[in-house]
Amino acid sequence: MKIRKPDLFQIITYPAVIIVFAIFISMLITFLIKSLPAFDMYGFNLYAKNVWIAAENPDNEKYGILAAIWGSIYTSIIAVGVALPLSIGYSIFVVDYAPKKVKNVLIILSDVMAGLPTIIYGVWAVFFLVPALKDNIMTPLYDTFSFIPLFSEPSISGFSIMSAGILLSIMVAPFASAIIRESYQMIPFKYKEAAFSLGLTRYETTKLLFGYIKPAVYSGMILAFGRAIGETVAVSLVVGNAFNLTANMLAPGYTISSLIANQFGNAFIYGHMTSVLYASGLFLFVIGLGVNLLGIYKLRRWRKNVEI
Amino acid sequence: MSKFDIRKIKEKLFLVTVAALAILAVFPLFHIVFTVFYEGISTIMATGPTFITGTLGEGGIGPAIVGTLMLTLLSSIIGIPIALAVGIYAYEYPNSRIGKITTTLLQIMLEFPTILVGLFVMQLIVIPMGSYSVIAGALALAIIMMPYVAVYTAESMSQIPFTFREAAFGLGVNRAKSVFMIIAPIAKRGILTGLLISTAKVAGETAPLLFTAGGLYQSYPHSFTQPVGSISLLIYTLVQSPSIADHQMAWGAALVLMVIFLAVFIPIRMSLKEVKL
Repeated sequence: MKIRKPDLFQIITYPAVIIVFAIFISMLITFLIKSLPAFDMYGFNLYAKNVWIAAENPDNEKYGILAAIWGSIYTSIIAVGVALPLSIGYSIFVVDYAPKKVKNVLIILSDVMAGLPTIIYGVWAVFFLVPALKDNIMTPLYDTFSFIPLFSEPSISGFSIMSAGILLSIMVAPFASAIIRESYQMIPFKYKEAAFSLGLTRYETTKLLFGYIKPAVYSGMILAFGRAIGETVAVSLVVGNAFNLTANMLAPGYTISSLIANQFGNAFIYGHMTSVLYASGLFLFVIGLGVNLLGIYKLRRWRKNVEI
Repeated sequence: MSKFDIRKIKEKLFLVTVAALAILAVFPLFHIVFTVFYEGISTIMATGPTFITGTLGEGGIGPAIVGTLMLTLLSSIIGIPIALAVGIYAYEYPNSRIGKITTTLLQIMLEFPTILVGLFVMQLIVIPMGSYSVIAGALALAIIMMPYVAVYTAESMSQIPFTFREAAFGLGVNRAKSVFMIIAPIAKRGILTGLLISTAKVAGETAPLLFTAGGLYQSYPHSFTQPVGSISLLIYTLVQSPSIADHQMAWGAALVLMVIFLAVFIPIRMSLKEVKL
């Protein structure tokens, strides 16, 4: 038997795989190391308090990014909540009802939306969506429902948590749609046949079949949440950028990524701000990693079950 | 028979709701395309060809367009070879332990907040070099691009029937040759699509460039180690300015970016069945 020579395949691909792993691991390490001074200084309060005092004297600086964490989660929950019915309706329509030509057009449109540069959403939102939401939705909501804490204060500029949430929902809906639609298409035809043979209407059949793809819908939601929480430029343009820890979605807020985008440029002036921002980034890193892993794992397990 | 009627009404109601939701989901795209076109074209008409060729002082976005091209080109040169090799690896070992971890890592990187990549590259390149640069911006974009290209490559190769490989092995061809010379060329179309879509995607990225590229709009970039602008970055800056003239400029730049994106994306998208974004 001949001794195995180093395979050309391995010589070409292994270094590339090592590079990709190295990039990811060094990213994690960079964020960990750069956050350490902030953890030393503020401990867990960094994530548990809402203060932002940038001072020339480093001893007077105080930071706690709770408002940004809250804003990130709040806007992403609104985004997923609004995007979910849209993407479910879209998936059902595309798979079950749309004629072939309309179906192709709808799928292409949705893909274009998923790929469209986010800054274009940002420009559109600043000059159209936010004023439109303020006049047609936010002001009436405040006028009618101001007794609910969610709408307890009027929005002055329109730039608010709600605006960011709705913009994000438009941006992540195509993405959630793609996952839900693909899963819905994967349902073996025999189940549909069985449902029809029982005399069920299309509505009843769809309801039944959605029980079957529930795990895929959940993972679509989780992955859409992950995408919404990481979105930066479009959100930072509309969220209002104010350290507000409030349930009122008409108030301006902050998100972790827009905090980084806004503050990082001049953070070097201050003693601790750079490290604080890396620590914020680390938080986003961990959340992003956890959420995406969960979503990918759930989706993969479901697909495996279906394929058998 | 009243029960039957309720079911029928429910059925109709369901169809209407579903159709309305589907239209609502894609309607913003029409509004965006129309608004950007309408607002952007008036800016471009008012300035004329200078808008495309001139510097910001002359009322144009020329340096930003060149910057976007430089960044996209350099990031492709850095990212594509590595990504292709990783994609081929993921295709070859779909079930091994490292193969599975690689696939998962690629999917995580696909969804990763892009601003974090910018922060990382800033620490890695910008701080040691002491200046924003084309290289830093392109490296950030390359990191974002790699997982897209790799996932596309692996998926389009895995669609090639295994019989081709069997035939290759039957002829005594080794593994490297069978993958690089037989399977990859057959899957060429899918791989190429992945490359183009990924390129279109990174050409519109903003967040990773914030702290890596820096921005340069008053003169054309001439060096890879100097700061550079991009159309997306310029729009981000202009939108935040209080001046109406800057807003007009932002619309014009958005139109240019949108046209570039659609011109690349739509023909590719029309020519194939499924994409992953």
